[in-house]
Amino acid sequence: MRGDSPMNTAVNASPAGVAPALGLGRRITWLLLLPSTLWFLLLLLMPLLVILVFSFGERSSVGGYGGGFTLDNYLALGSRAGAFSNTLVLAPLGTLVCLLVAYPLAYFLAVKVRRNRSLLLTLVIVPFWTSFLIRTYAWIFILGGKGIPALLASLGLEGVRLINTPTAVLVGIVYGYLPLMVFPLYVSLEKLDKRLLEASGDLGASRFETFRRVTLPLSAPGMITGVMLVFILLMGEFLIPAILGGGKVFFVGNALVDLFLQSRNWPFGSALAMTLVALMLAIILVYLKLAARFGGASRDGVL
Amino acid sequence: MWLRSYSTSLYLFLYAPIALIMVFAFNAGRSGLSFQCCSVQWFGRAFGNPFIMEALGNSALIALCSALLSTLFGTLAVFGLQRVGGRVRRFFDALTYCAIIVPGIVIGIATLIAFITLFDLLNPLLQAIDPALPRLRMGFGTVVAAHSLFTMALVMVIVRTRVEALDKALLEASADLYAPPLSTFFRVILPQIAPAILAGFLLAFTFSFDDFIIAFFVAGSETTLPIYIFSSIRRGITPEINALSTVIIAASLALLVASRYLQNRQPGA
Amino acid sequence: MDKKTFIKTLRSWQNGSITRRDFLGRTGLGLAAAVMAANMPGLLTSRAFAAEKGSMGDRVNLATWPNYHSPDNFAAFAEATGAKVQMNVFGSNEEMLAKLQAGGSGWDLFVPTNYTISTYVELGLIEPLDLARIPNFDPKAFEQRFMAQGTVDGKVYAVPKNWGTTGIVYDSSALKTPVDSWKQFWDLTKTSASGRTIVHDYQLTAIGNALKYFGYSFNSLDPKELADAEKLLIDCKPHLFAINSDIQPSMRSGDAWMAMCWTGDASQLHRDNPDMQFALGREGGELWSDFFAIPKGAEHRDAAYALINYLLDPAHNKLEVEAHGYPSGDKRVDALLPKEMLDDPIMYPAAELLSHLEFGAAATLTSPVRAELMARFKAA
Repeated sequence: MRGDSPMNTAVNASPAGVAPALGLGRRITWLLLLPSTLWFLLLLLMPLLVILVFSFGERSSVGGYGGGFTLDNYLALGSRAGAFSNTLVLAPLGTLVCLLVAYPLAYFLAVKVRRNRSLLLTLVIVPFWTSFLIRTYAWIFILGGKGIPALLASLGLEGVRLINTPTAVLVGIVYGYLPLMVFPLYVSLEKLDKRLLEASGDLGASRFETFRRVTLPLSAPGMITGVMLVFILLMGEFLIPAILGGGKVFFVGNALVDLFLQSRNWPFGSALAMTLVALMLAIILVYLKLAARFGGASRDGVL
Repeated sequence: MWLRSYSTSLYLFLYAPIALIMVFAFNAGRSGLSFQCCSVQWFGRAFGNPFIMEALGNSALIALCSALLSTLFGTLAVFGLQRVGGRVRRFFDALTYCAIIVPGIVIGIATLIAFITLFDLLNPLLQAIDPALPRLRMGFGTVVAAHSLFTMALVMVIVRTRVEALDKALLEASADLYAPPLSTFFRVILPQIAPAILAGFLLAFTFSFDDFIIAFFVAGSETTLPIYIFSSIRRGITPEINALSTVIIAASLALLVASRYLQNRQPGA
Repeated sequence: MDKKTFIKTLRSWQNGSITRRDFLGRTGLGLAAAVMAANMPGLLTSRAFAAEKGSMGDRVNLATWPNYHSPDNFAAFAEATGAKVQMNVFGSNEEMLAKLQAGGSGWDLFVPTNYTISTYVELGLIEPLDLARIPNFDPKAFEQRFMAQGTVDGKVYAVPKNWGTTGIVYDSSALKTPVDSWKQFWDLTKTSASGRTIVHDYQLTAIGNALKYFGYSFNSLDPKELADAEKLLIDCKPHLFAINSDIQPSMRSGDAWMAMCWTGDASQLHRDNPDMQFALGREGGELWSDFFAIPKGAEHRDAAYALINYLLDPAHNKLEVEAHGYPSGDKRVDALLPKEMLDDPIMYPAAELLSHLEFGAAATLTSPVRAELMARFKAA
């Protein structure tokens, strides 16, 4: 209960009998914070602590956790280099493609559309009322031999293979996370003062120049938020590579699931999970530092 | 102009797979991936399949419970945090961001391991106290608990922004008029933050309803809808799932249309 | 996922960039959907389950493999007993073991393969069967080699479901050369079947059949031999279509041309498309048998026994065999099968081909070295 210890000491330190109302107030504060503290302790800190401990253990002979203390699990991380490099290439790449694809749409919705804007915006969300799994599964058909490759073959382009390739995974990523990118971009572009754009045009700036020097910098908070949201989710991605990668495009998430469900190597799995979390924290901290320096991140921009 | 056609094609991209799902719901054949026209049998089968219905019910109930819990706990915490000093607040902030950043897959696995270990310790104790006590195990409760961790953090972020934006003058005015604190809360504060709370609730519900990876690890023998669908993908998906998805999409579209219609009828709302 | 999309909308609401009217419209919509989703299934399920008042409960949870049962048999069983079969399918025995080891699987009945049973017994995860409750099980009707591993320390823990082999299936319309050895399988993977081959997502068969390329034992745990197999697997990885135990969808769609394949998958593929050819590797490979077993603490034990007994009734088992295309190993069932099925070389390979095959060993499945090799192969 580290979270409320300062308050406890404060209560104990106050002379007995002084201002019972104050004691009551503290008690109320304590009660308000109790459930969330309990949840953080029981469902965040304890599990993370347990896998931290397990990550220094050994696999028991039949699988699971066998106790002991060793650094072997961390030293063996190199055997998952492929999964890490896949993740570290496809997660940023997927985020970037998402950003590039989403920006024009967000710009269109925020700046160009006059009527039906909220309808069009809602239409971006509606697909997400269908199961993520089902939507991803639909791509098996579209990218599979009887989908786009058959279409291309009828146009004379034979032998294209899409399913179970990094391209398929990338398509799945863009499809799955596009709205996540559109929304923050929309929010920041929508707040943009249109008169600035006009002023820039009146001062003789070309449309490209206006975009580069006015629109783009002003939409930076939205970009920062969107990029971070998508990136965080992609780093832990499991489903898209599992469904569209055919076991060949392997993310750290897939390696993790395998370690728990196939090899039953809990200690190594724990080490992998801790490494993933540490890596993400490091990347996000660096990213936020950079964003603050170059992007002028507002407090509002960071979720 | 190119922006318009670009955006149109993006909408096509977003809706093509969904259209495909809907078309296949009317498949006369058995496979989820090859089409024979046309039949509505799968709609009847989906709603007559007790396992699909049970999974749907489980998902809805889990989503409802975890959304309620996380909205309540999150909102309470936001008010609690208004009353404490910097260090405690920063510590809570760190925990909140941590809960958002740690990937679902890690949460799922870590919770599974921690709870199995914990239950293995607690169950013999409980049995020693009274053999009639039920044994702790993974299931409904663990999914709700694990889902509400993430969603509670979301609710805290959302509601806090709203609470911090509250007009302090209004609160002071209320106090100046000798309104008791509780009455200020219910008459002044709550109406202003209600939209944020509702939004947090809906967000939590949707997240929990669609989550696969956390439930996959901590659900024990319970089947949620995403777990059922994942299992059917491996088993060879049948158009039942397509039919169910079609109904869900159609219902949400209908609600969307209805809500716009209502909005247009009540311009003052 | 939706949660994050919504959060962005929310933020926009808070920032006032969307009007209050929009907000009410949208949240009202969401709330209505939530209420509907929460109420509808409750109504439906209570109706669906209230009708059944079977003495053994309304269900039996079965953990099994894909394409492994006759849906008609399950429907008839539900009709007769009131217990519906809830099926969970898995891709590997490790996965089943992991789920049982983690506890709270909720299974009443599952289908372990021969080499796993001693491990389950050792870990105390399954219980001895009460054969009096399975009168349709007749030990004399089965060949000893297909039922021996169900018995540990003189106690019967599992009764045989069916047996089969692990061979190669290929689409002869796409792959012109006939395939009949694991050497060819891997060589073609790197050449004319590049990008079109599926390898099981299962260390036992993926590594075992890579070992056969060099003529080593399917069950080898020898470090040097395993290193050879690993090199082969990793060399072939860029040429694979997928690493997946469920080969049928991709073979049917024409995306894949060749795959590691269990007997029944080959029977089913060949039945629907005669171009699908099956062969056992000349070097050998795997022979296996699957069993029915009941996990310790099964909730619907009565229903599980009833289902085993129902499926082992030769008349019902015949329907199973016709649906899944694996030989049952039960002489009473064979007597009921049509002659062309008994002559089918996929289901009943020639004795001299069978003689090269090996049963998987318990140590092969639980070997951490092989598990880690497989994981490296997949993560490569």
